[in-house]
Amino acid sequence: MKGFFATFKHDHWVMPYLRRYKKLLALVLFLGFMTFFCGGALMFNSGYLISRAATHPYNILMIYVPIVLARAFGIGRPAFRYAERLTSHNWVLRIVSDFRKRLYEAVEKQAVAIRQTHQTGDVLSILAEDIDHIENLYLRTVFPLVIGWLLYLFVVIGIGYFNWAFGLLMLLLLGVIVILMPLLSVTVNGRREFQARRVQRTFYTQLTDAVLGLGDWLISGRRQDFLAQQDAPIDQIAALRRKDHHFQWWRNFAIQVIFGAAVVLLVWWAGVMFTHNQAQANWVAAFGLALFPTVEPFADMSQGVSEWPVYQDSIRRVNALDENEPQQVDQTRVEAFENLTLDHVKFTYAGAQREVIDDLSLTLHPGEKLALLGPSGTGKSTLLKLILGDETPTSGQITINGEPVSRLQDQRATLFGVLDQQPYLFNTTVMNNVRLGNLNATDEEVMDAVKAVELDDLIARLPAGYQTQVQEAGSRFSGGERQRLSLARILLQDAPIIILDEPTVSLDPITEQHLLDTVFSVLHDKTIIWVTHHLAGINHVDQVRFIENGHFDMQGTPEKLYQENARFRSLYDLDRGR
Amino acid sequence: MIDKRVFKFPGVKPAAAIMAVLTFVQAFMIIFQAKYLSVAIVNLWQLKSVRTIVLPLLLFAGAFLARHLLTLSNNWLLYPFVEKTTKTLRKQFMAKLFDLGPSVVAQKGTGNVVTMGLEGIDKIQTYLMLIIGKVLDLSLTPWIVLIYIAFIQWKEALFLLAIYPLIIFFMIILGLAAQAKADRQYAGYQRLSNHFVDTLRGLPTLKQLGLNKTYADNVYQVSEDYRKKTMSTLTIAMTSTFALDFFTTLSIAIIAVFLGFGLMNNTIQLLPALIILTLAPDYFAPIRNFANDYHATLNGKNTLTAVLDILQRPTPTDRDLLPVRQPTWQADDTLALNKVNVSYGESQTPTLKDITFSVHGFQKVGIIGASGSGKSTLINTLGGFLSPQDGQINVRDTAVPHLDKQAWQRSFVYIPQAPYLFHASLRDNLAFYAPGASEEAVMQAAAKAGLTDWIATLPDGLATQIGEGARGVSGGQAQRIALARAFLDDSRRVLLFDEPTAHLDIETEVELKRAMLPVFDHHLVFFATHRLHWMNEMDYILVMDHGKIVQQGTPAELEQQGGTYVRLRSEMEGATVK
Repeated sequence: MKGFFATFKHDHWVMPYLRRYKKLLALVLFLGFMTFFCGGALMFNSGYLISRAATHPYNILMIYVPIVLARAFGIGRPAFRYAERLTSHNWVLRIVSDFRKRLYEAVEKQAVAIRQTHQTGDVLSILAEDIDHIENLYLRTVFPLVIGWLLYLFVVIGIGYFNWAFGLLMLLLLGVIVILMPLLSVTVNGRREFQARRVQRTFYTQLTDAVLGLGDWLISGRRQDFLAQQDAPIDQIAALRRKDHHFQWWRNFAIQVIFGAAVVLLVWWAGVMFTHNQAQANWVAAFGLALFPTVEPFADMSQGVSEWPVYQDSIRRVNALDENEPQQVDQTRVEAFENLTLDHVKFTYAGAQREVIDDLSLTLHPGEKLALLGPSGTGKSTLLKLILGDETPTSGQITINGEPVSRLQDQRATLFGVLDQQPYLFNTTVMNNVRLGNLNATDEEVMDAVKAVELDDLIARLPAGYQTQVQEAGSRFSGGERQRLSLARILLQDAPIIILDEPTVSLDPITEQHLLDTVFSVLHDKTIIWVTHHLAGINHVDQVRFIENGHFDMQGTPEKLYQENARFRSLYDLDRGR
Repeated sequence: MIDKRVFKFPGVKPAAAIMAVLTFVQAFMIIFQAKYLSVAIVNLWQLKSVRTIVLPLLLFAGAFLARHLLTLSNNWLLYPFVEKTTKTLRKQFMAKLFDLGPSVVAQKGTGNVVTMGLEGIDKIQTYLMLIIGKVLDLSLTPWIVLIYIAFIQWKEALFLLAIYPLIIFFMIILGLAAQAKADRQYAGYQRLSNHFVDTLRGLPTLKQLGLNKTYADNVYQVSEDYRKKTMSTLTIAMTSTFALDFFTTLSIAIIAVFLGFGLMNNTIQLLPALIILTLAPDYFAPIRNFANDYHATLNGKNTLTAVLDILQRPTPTDRDLLPVRQPTWQADDTLALNKVNVSYGESQTPTLKDITFSVHGFQKVGIIGASGSGKSTLINTLGGFLSPQDGQINVRDTAVPHLDKQAWQRSFVYIPQAPYLFHASLRDNLAFYAPGASEEAVMQAAAKAGLTDWIATLPDGLATQIGEGARGVSGGQAQRIALARAFLDDSRRVLLFDEPTAHLDIETEVELKRAMLPVFDHHLVFFATHRLHWMNEMDYILVMDHGKIVQQGTPAELEQQGGTYVRLRSEMEGATVK
C-alpha cells in the first residue's frame, strides 16, 4: 500500500488526466453506476411486482408502475452498459493521443541521451507499451473500482435509511468484499509478481538465447543439455501459476461466502423489519433479490486490482522520464557555408577516463571530400557526433564559418545531410518517405530526386508506384535500395555538408561499388565526410585520414598514400583481393 | 464451439467426465438455492413468524455454499490436467525446435518463436482452463434449470426456450458485421497502431531532416485518427454484447411481468413465481459468461493452432545413417553432391539447382558469387540445416538423403557473419561444443584465436558474462570466439564459413586473417565470401550465380577460363587508385 501512494506522489502522467477530462470521467462513472443500479433495481422491482400481484389487487393499474419500471430497468441496464463502454473507450483513447504526443516530445528532447543509455530500440517499444498499460489501468482497474465503491455506498446508505444499525453491519460486511479483498489481492500479488517477473525474465532470456543460438545447439549435438536447461524455468512458471490460481479461487470463494451471508442477513432483517402488515411484506422479496446482480461488479474489483503491479511499473517508468529541455546554448545563424574547422578538439565521455578524441585538427572547404578510416572503437562515430553537435568537445572547438556548431543547432538540417548504416524508412508511401527531405518539394521534384539515385525504374514497377506503402522498417526494399531512397531524401534536403556514416557496411561489394558511384556523382558539389570500414571506392575522395586511438596517424590523398605509405598499400591491395 | 483437439490431450476425458457430474450436481444446487430463498421470502410475505424462515435460510445457505464449493472443486480437478498439458506442450515445443533446427526459426522469425513458447503457451493454458468448464456449464446448467421451470410453469419455460436461439442469432449476426468491418479496416488499422513505435524508432532520422519538432503534431493527429477508426469499429463490435445483454435483461423483465399477470389471474402462486424469477438470471448466466470470455478463448484457440502446426511438422529421419568415427572427417574422405536441388519451405522453385561437386580430404573450398546467388543456402545445406528435395549426397562413400546427420554435425564448426554468443560466461561460450574441456585447454584455444590480451582486460577473465544484455563483444572478437571453438574441439575437422568478415573494418580483418589461417591446416574448409583476398588462400573455388554453380576449379584454372569468375572479380574490385 505504501508503494501505491509512493507511485502517485510525484505522478504527472495519470492523475492530471483524470482532472483534465473531469466531465467525461464523471459521465463514465455515472453510466457505469447506472448499469449496475438498473440491474439491481430490476430484481428489486420485480420482487415487489410479483409480491404485489400475489395480493390480487382489484385493478391492474395498481401494478402498472412496477410493470413499466420493470421494462425501463430491463432496457436501461444494457443501454447504460453500452453507453458506458463506448464512452470509457473514447475517453481513454483521447488520453492516449495526449500521452503519445507527450511521450514523443519527451523522447525527442532526450533523444541523444536515451540512445546513449539504451543501445537498442527496445526501450522505445517498452515505453509505447507502457502507454497501453496505462490505458488498461483506467479501463480495468480504476473504473471498475470507483464504480464498485459508488454502488457499495448506494447499497449501504439505502439500507441505512431504514435502519442505521443494519446499514452499519452491511457497511462492514460488504466492506470486506470491496475494500479488504482488493487490498489483500494487491499485497499478495505484489509479492508474487516480483518473483514471477524474475522467473519470466530468466525464461525469456534463455528462450531467446536458445532460439538465436539454435544452429550452434544443433551442431553441438547436446540435445539433453538443451532440454534440461529449459526445464527449471518451465517448472517454476508452472508452480507460480498454480499459486496464483489457488489464491484466486479461494479469494473468489471467500467473496461468495461473505456475499451469501449478506443475503441471508438481509432477508432476516427484512423479515424483522417489514412484516407488520401485508403492504410492507411486499417489499421483502424486493430486498431479498436486489443484492444478487451486485456480486459480479464487486467480485471484479479484486480481479482488476491484482493487475496493479504491472501498471505500477509502467507508471513509474513514464514518470521517471526526464521531460526537461536540455540546456540550451544561444542560437545564431550562418550564411553560405565557407569552412568547417576542428581546432585541437579533445573529448572524453562523462565518467570515462580515456580520451576518445585526442587533439584533432582539421579544416574542410566547400566541395572537399574526406574519408575517415580506423578500427572500430577508435572514435570515428564520436567524431561525427561532435561535428553534428550532439556532443560538445571537452576542449578545443568545432566551428562553421567561425561559429561553434553547438550554436547552430536550429539550423542543423540546412547544414548537414546524413546517410548512415541503417537509414530509416517510415511506414508510409514511397512518395511521403522521400518528401521528408523537404516537405515543400513538389511531386516532380521528388521524382527527379528518385531518378537521380537511379530508382525510377524500380518504383515504376511497384504495384502502386510512388504511392506504394513501404512495409515496416522498409522491409520491401533491399539494403542498397533503402540507401538510395535515403539518398534521394538528402538530395531534396540540399544541405552543403554530407556525412556518410558507413553507409555500405552491410552491402555486397558490387552493390557497394554501384552505390558509392551514385553517391559521389549526385553529391559532386557537396562537402563530404565519409566514415568507412574499408577501402572500396576510396578513389572518390581527395583526402584520406586514419584515426587510431583518437588521433590521425596516416593522411594524404589516396594516390600519394598508395605510393608513399607501405601500410596503406598493403591494406589497399588486400581489399582489392591481391 | 469446442475444439476437438482439446480432447486429444491425455487425461482430459476422465477430468471432463467428473466435471460433468459436478456441474450436473451444481445445477441442482442452483435450483435448491433459488427454491429455499423463495420459501423464506414467501413465508415472510405470508406474515408467518421469523422462526419459520430459519430452516429455509439454512438450506439456502447450504445450497449456496455447495454451489460455490463445486466451482472450487471443478477448478481443483481440472487444474492438474491443464498444468500437465501446458508443461508438456512447452517441453515438446522446445524439443521440436531442437529437432527442426534453425530453418524453422528463419521462417517464423525469432520474436514469433519466442512469443509462442512463452506467452502463446500461457494463452493456451487460459484457454484450456476456460473452455472445458464453460462448455460443460453451457451444455448442462441452462437445460436443467429450464426443465425444472417447465415442471412448475410450462408457458414461462417455453418463452425462455424460444428466446435462446434468438439471442444466439443476433449475437452471430452482429458479431459477423463487426468482424467484417474490422477486417475491412485492418490494414489501415495496423499501420496506425504501429505508427507510434515507427515514429519513435525513426526519431534520429527525423532529427537529421530537421523535422523532430514539427512531428509531434503529426503523432497526435494520427493517434486521433486511430481513435476515431477504433471507435467506429467498437460501436459495432459492442452491439453484439449489447444484443446479448438486452435480450437477457429484457427477458427477465418480461418474465416478471408475465408472472405478475399470472398471479393476478390466480393461475400461479407466489412461491413458484418467485422461484422462476430467481432462477431466470441463472438460466442466462452460462451464455453470458461464455460471451464475456469469447476473446480469451479465441486467442487461445488460434495460438493452439499455431503451436500444434509446429509440433506436427515432420522432423528429418535417418539422422544416424552416417557411422560414427573419431574423427568423423579424415584426410582420405570424400564428400560428393550430385544434382542436388534445395528449396525453402513450401516454395516450388528451388533456390539451389543442380549442385554437383566433389571435395576430398582437407581441401580449402572458396564459394564466391553476387549477393542472392545462393552462397548461404549452400552453406546451410552443407550444415544440414536445410534438406535437399532431390539429388544424391555421398559422404565417406555412404549415400545420404541430407546432411542433417548427428555424426556429420559433430564434425564441423559453423562460423557465420555474426556468430551467436550465448548469454553465459566467456568460458561456456568458448567450450560450447566441448563443455567438458579443461580450463587449460580452453585458455590454449583462446590463445590460438588471439584472445589472450582481450581476456586479460576483462574483469572476471573467462568467467565474464557475455552475450545479449551483458558485456558487449565487438564483431572481430566474436569471430575469434567462434574460431576458438574450432581450435578447442579437434574432432571437428570441417569448417563452414559464411561471410565471416563482411562487416569488419579492413585492419581488423587483416589481424583476424592472421589468426584464422593456421586453423585451415588439417581441415576441410568451405568459405563463402565477397572479400576477394580470401580466394588466394583457397585451392578450389565454386562460382555461384542464381542458385547454380556456374564455374568450378582451382583459382588458376578459373583465371584462365575467364567468364563469370573473372567478371565478378573485376566488378568487385571497382576503379583503381594509382
